[in-house]
Amino acid sequence: MQLTYLEAIRQGIWEEMERDPTVFCLGEDIGIYGGAFKVTDGFIDRFGPERVIDTPIAESAIVGAAFGASLTGMRPVAEFQFMDFIGCAMNQISNMVAKTHYLWGAPAPLVLRGPSGGYVHGGPFHSQNPEMWFVHNPGLKVICPATPYDAKGLIKAAIRDNNPCVFFEHKYLYRRIKEEVPPDDYVVPIGKARIAREGKDLSIITYAAMVHTAIEAAEILSKEGIDLEILDLRTVSPLDREAIAQTVKKTNKVIILHEHSRTGGLAGEIAAIINEEAFDDLDGPIVRIAGLDSAIPFSPPQEHHYLPQLEDVLRESRRLKAY
Amino acid sequence: MNLRVAGGLRTKEAWKLALLPAPALPSIHRAFRVAPYMGNHKKKSKANSNGNRPRNGARAGNTHAVTDTPVHRAPAGTAALGSRAEQSSAEGLRTYSIPDYRLEHPNLTVHQVVEKDKHGDEHVHYEVEGELDAPVPPIRDSKYLSKEQAIEIYRYMLLNRKMEIALENLYKQGKVVGGVYFGLGQEACSCASAYALGKDDWFAPMIRNQGSLLVRGFRASDTMMQYMAKADSPTRGRDGTSHFGDIEKRNMVSPISMLGDLIPVMSGVALGARLQGRNIAVMTYIGDGGQSTGVTYEGINFAAVQSLGLVLMVESNLWAYSTPSEMQYRCQDLAERAIGYGIPGVIVDGTDACQVFDAANEAVDRAHRGDGPTMIEAKMMRMKGHAIHDAASYVPKPLFDFWKKRDPIARFENYLVKNKKWLTAKENSDLIADVERVIEEEREIAVNSPMPTPESAEGGVFCENGCHEIKPKYGMPKVKKGTASYKETQAAAHLK
Repeated sequence: MQLTYLEAIRQGIWEEMERDPTVFCLGEDIGIYGGAFKVTDGFIDRFGPERVIDTPIAESAIVGAAFGASLTGMRPVAEFQFMDFIGCAMNQISNMVAKTHYLWGAPAPLVLRGPSGGYVHGGPFHSQNPEMWFVHNPGLKVICPATPYDAKGLIKAAIRDNNPCVFFEHKYLYRRIKEEVPPDDYVVPIGKARIAREGKDLSIITYAAMVHTAIEAAEILSKEGIDLEILDLRTVSPLDREAIAQTVKKTNKVIILHEHSRTGGLAGEIAAIINEEAFDDLDGPIVRIAGLDSAIPFSPPQEHHYLPQLEDVLRESRRLKAY
Repeated sequence: MNLRVAGGLRTKEAWKLALLPAPALPSIHRAFRVAPYMGNHKKKSKANSNGNRPRNGARAGNTHAVTDTPVHRAPAGTAALGSRAEQSSAEGLRTYSIPDYRLEHPNLTVHQVVEKDKHGDEHVHYEVEGELDAPVPPIRDSKYLSKEQAIEIYRYMLLNRKMEIALENLYKQGKVVGGVYFGLGQEACSCASAYALGKDDWFAPMIRNQGSLLVRGFRASDTMMQYMAKADSPTRGRDGTSHFGDIEKRNMVSPISMLGDLIPVMSGVALGARLQGRNIAVMTYIGDGGQSTGVTYEGINFAAVQSLGLVLMVESNLWAYSTPSEMQYRCQDLAERAIGYGIPGVIVDGTDACQVFDAANEAVDRAHRGDGPTMIEAKMMRMKGHAIHDAASYVPKPLFDFWKKRDPIARFENYLVKNKKWLTAKENSDLIADVERVIEEEREIAVNSPMPTPESAEGGVFCENGCHEIKPKYGMPKVKKGTASYKETQAAAHLK
C-alpha cells in the first residue's frame, strides 16, 4: 500500500489503538478537528472522546497528565501541535518524565509527538528542530524518522516501548513523500540506524528530511564518479554508535548533515563518537553541514539561506572527496 | 449538551461528569459578593508599594475590594460549593461562597518597614500587625473521625515531629548529606489529609509532607536514609528528602524540586484510573509560594475541565523561603482561586487535624463519586526556616509567638486528653514513649545502612530487559469502538 509519511504515522497510531486499549491520545485540537496536520483525523469517531482527548492549551498539563496516566499502566500518545511548543513543557519532560526511572524506578511508557522542521516557511516558532534539547536529557528516546515505512514502524515501537519517547515528525515530509508500506504489523527497532544508500567514497550521516536531500545529492554526484554512502540515523538518542563507526571505517570520510543550528548540534556529538571509535580510519576532516546559529527566519530567501540545501551537500562532498 | 459523534452518543456519557452541579458539602459558608468590576474600590491602605495588606487569613479586612460589600451567611447545607454562582441579584452581582471551617480568623498583616540604625543607615525588615494576643481557638469536633481514628492521626503527627527532631540531630552529627526540611507546625495538615485517602487512592507529597509518607505506610527510616543518601534508601542514594515514590504498593508519585509540577501529573493519574473504570482521589500539596507557578494553573485547570478527582492541599504557611504570602498573591485567600477554576474551594485551620481531615474526607468522597477536584486551603505557619540552614530571622518574632500557641500537636493532645478524655495522661505518655522508641529503632536502621558504591550511579536510565511489566493498575480499559473504519485523511492541513 502506497502511504504518505503522514498517513503512515496516522495508521501506526490507529493500529496501536485498535490493538491495545491502554493506548490513548491527548493534545490540542486532536478530536473532532483531527489535529492541525490531521494525524488524528477520524480517531474520535472510532475510539471515542474518552481516548481522543482535546486538552486546554497547556503543554505542561498535557505532558504531566500523560506522565501521570502512564504511571497507572496506560500508554498515552500526546500531540504537540508544533514541536516548537514543547519548550513550554520542558520542566515536566526534563525533570519529571526523563528522570523518573533512574531516580525512583517508575517506568513512564509515553509518547510525545508532533511536527518539526523547516522548508515550509513556518517562521521562527513553527519550523524548529528542537531534538537536541532532549538528546541532552538521559532517560528519553528521541526518534526522527525519514520515510513512511520507518515512521510507521517507529511510532508503533515508541508506543510499545516502556520508556518516554519524543517522536519528531518532519512536517515537510508529511505529504511530500510516499512509499510502499506493508499492510502487516511490524515495528522498526528504536536505536538502530539504517544505510539509506550504499557507497564507498564518503559517508553522509543524517536523519529526517535531510536524508532525502542527501539522496538527491548522491544521484547527482554518482554521475561525477563520487559514490556517497548515506546513513539514516532514525533515532538520535540513543545513537547507533556501531553503525556510525562502521560507515566511517568503510568510506574514511564523513559529512554530518542536520537542520538545526551548528553550535551544540548533533554533528558535534557524532564527531566525538567518530573520534572515539574510528579516529584512525579518517582520511579527512569531519565536515558539518547545519543550520545557522540563529533563529529560523520567516521570509523564504532567508529561510533558504539558514537551512542546509542541496548545493551545500554537493559542494562539501566534492571538496571532501578531493581532500 | 448533545455532542454527537459516530457510534452514538458516547460523548454524552463522558461529559456528564463535567456538567453535574457541584454537590454541597455541609459546612459553615463564608460568602461574599463579587462586584462586576473590582477596580477603584480600595480604600487607601498602609501597605507599601509591594502590595502588602492584611492576610494571614484575615477576614473582611477593610482594605480589600472583595470585602467591600457585606458578608452574608448562606443557608447552612444548601449552597453549592465555591465554583458555582449561587444567585444573581437585581443589581447584577453574582454570589459565590467559600466554606470556611475555621473557628478563628487571624487578622495579621506582614509588611516591610524601613528603619534607620544608629549610624543613620537604612535597613528593611518585616513587621507584623494585628491581634497578636487573640485567644487560641478550640479544636473543632470532627464530623467523621472516631476516637480510634483521631488517636491514630495524633500518633502519626507525633511520629512526624519526632522523626524530624531525629533528623535535626543526625544533621548536627554530620550524618545528613545536604539540608533538612521541616514540616514543623504543619503536621496536622500532612497527616490528617493523607489519612483521608483510601487504599486505592494516590498521593504525592511535597518537601514538608514527611508526615503524609508515614500515614501512607512508609517507614521513618525510609525518609532518614534518603536524607543520609544511603544505599538502602528508597532511591538507593539517587535522590534525597521526600523525593521517592512507589507506584506498585503505596500509590505514591515522587516529588521533584520544582513546584506545581505534581498537579497535572496527579490529574493524569486520575485520568488513567478513570480510563480503567475507576474514580480515584489523587492528593497533592502546594504552598502559597508554589501556587504562583504557571504549571499550578495548568494542572488545576486540566483537572477541572476533565472533572478528575484531584484533592489539592494548598498549604498557606505564610512564608515561601523568605518571601511572605503578601508578595505571592493579591487575593485575600487562595481558596478564592477555586472560583476561577470552577471548582469547590474550602478553607481550614491547618493546625486543627479535625478540620483538615473533614475537608479532605469530603474532597476524597467527591473524587470517588467522579465529581471532580477540590481545593483545600490550610492556614498555618511554617515554624522553621526554609531548611535547616535558615534561621528565619526575617520572620517577625511576634508572628512566631502567635503560631507557636497554635501548635497542632499540643492543641490536639489537649483536645484528646482534656476535652474529649479519649486518652488518659498515662495512655498519652505511653503513646509518646512508644513513638520515641519506634523513631529510635528507625534511626538505628537508617544509620546502619551503608553508603552506596560509586558504581551504583550507573544504570537504570531506561526501563529495559523486562525490568518492569506495564499493566493497567485497575484493570484493562473496557473500550467501546465506533463504527467508523480506517480511511486515509483527505482534510486540509496547516503549512503544506
